[in-house]
Amino acid sequence: MRLDLTILTPYLGFLGQGALLTAVICVLSLAGAVILGMLVAIARTSATPWVRRLAFAYVDLFRNIPFIVQLFFFYYGLPEIGLYIDAITTGVVALSIAGGAYASDAIRSGILAIDNGILEAAEVSGLSKRVTFTRIVLPIALRTSVRPLGSVLINMILTSSILSTITVNELTGQAKIVASDTFRPFEVYAVLLIVYAALTWLVSIGIGRLHHRLNRDLMAEVT
Amino acid sequence: MRYTDFTPYDLLLLAKGLGVTIGLFLATSLIGLVIGVLWGVIRYYRVPFLTPLITFISEILKNSPVLVQLFLVFFGFPAFFHLNVTPVQAAVVTLSANTAAFIYVIAVAAIESVGRDQIEAARVFGLTRWQVLRHVIAPQAGAFSVGPLTALLVNQLQVTSLISVIGVMDLAKIGANLNLRTLKPFIVWAVVGLLYYLTAKLVAAMGERFEKRLRAHSEFRGL
Repeated sequence: MRLDLTILTPYLGFLGQGALLTAVICVLSLAGAVILGMLVAIARTSATPWVRRLAFAYVDLFRNIPFIVQLFFFYYGLPEIGLYIDAITTGVVALSIAGGAYASDAIRSGILAIDNGILEAAEVSGLSKRVTFTRIVLPIALRTSVRPLGSVLINMILTSSILSTITVNELTGQAKIVASDTFRPFEVYAVLLIVYAALTWLVSIGIGRLHHRLNRDLMAEVT
Repeated sequence: MRYTDFTPYDLLLLAKGLGVTIGLFLATSLIGLVIGVLWGVIRYYRVPFLTPLITFISEILKNSPVLVQLFLVFFGFPAFFHLNVTPVQAAVVTLSANTAAFIYVIAVAAIESVGRDQIEAARVFGLTRWQVLRHVIAPQAGAFSVGPLTALLVNQLQVTSLISVIGVMDLAKIGANLNLRTLKPFIVWAVVGLLYYLTAKLVAAMGERFEKRLRAHSEFRGL
C-alpha cells in the first residue's frame, strides 16, 4: 500500500505512443465532426422543412444514444454489410458522427446569431445564396463557435478513451496493458486520470486563446 | 440444439438489463445529487481547505474519462487498498462521484444566480446564514437548476452504459451478450440503442414537465 510512481518510468514511451494515437484520432475526428457538423447545421437552418427534420432526427438520435452502443453498432455491424475497416478507422468514423451531432449544434447557434443586416447587405450587394453562405455566413459562424466547438473537442478527447473497448490502443488502451504488465493498476490509472485532466485543461487554455485571437475585432466593441 | 436465434426469453433479458441500467442510474443520480448539493453548501459557507479541495476533485472528475475512473475504482482500489470491490459497487461509487462533480457545478451556479441584494436584505433582517440558505436561496436556486439538471441527467444516463465494460449486467452488456450469441449486430445494437433513446427521452420529458410546473406561476395566464 505504498504509492510508487517510479515503476511507470520504463513505460513512459509506451504511454506516449498511446497519447499520440489519441491526439491523431481526436484531430481526425474533430475535422470529420466539424465538416459533418457544418453540413448538418446548413440542413438544420434550411428553408425546406423535411431537410430540417431529417437533420434534427440525426442530431437527436446520436446525442441520446450512448457512444459505446454506437461504437459497437459500427464495429460489429459494418463487417456484416461487407465493409471491412480496421478498429482505428471505425473509431474515427464513430467519433466523427457522434461529434458531428454536437458540433452541428454549436455551428447552428453560430449561424443563428448572425445579424440579419449582414445577410441583407450581402443580398443587396448582389451575392448569390451560395457565396453568401460560404464567404460570409460560415466564416462568421465558425469564428463565433470556436468555444463551443472546443468543448466538443474536449468531450471527444474524453470519449476517445472508449475506443479502448474495440482494441484501439490509444492512451487508455496502452494504460490497460501497462496496468496488467506491472500489476499496479492504482498508480497507472491515477496517473492517467491526472494526465487526461491536464491534457483537457491545456486544450481549453488553447481554445480560449484561439477564441480571443479570432474574435479580436469583435472584442474591441465590448471592452 | 444451438441457441443462435433470437428467443422470446431475450426480451426478458433486455428488460432486465434496462432495469439494471435505470436502477443504477436513479441510485447514482440520487447519491450524486446529495453529495453535489452538500459540496455546494460547503462552498457557500466558504469552509477553509475543504472548498478548494472539493473544487479540485470536481475538476479532476469532470475532466477525465469516466472509463478511466471506473478502472481506477474497479482495478486500482482493490490492488492498492486491499479491498474487495464488486462491479456493481465500483459502478455505484464511480457514477455517484462523477454525477456529484457535475451537480456541484450546477449547485454553485444556482446559488450564485440568486441576487446579492436579496441575501444582504435577508441578512439585515437578522436571518442567519443557514436561514438565508434555506428560505431565500434554496427555493430560487432549485427552480434555476431544474433545466441544467435535466440535461445532465440525460447525459449521465448514457454514461451508465460504460459500466458494462467492467462487467455489470446492464443494457449495454446484455446487448454485447446477445450480439455474441446471435451474431446479428445490426438488430441487437439498434434495439439497445432504441431502448436507451426512449429512456433518455422519458427523462427529458419528465424534467421538462417538472420545469413547466415550477414556472407556471410566472407564466401569462390571459386576462
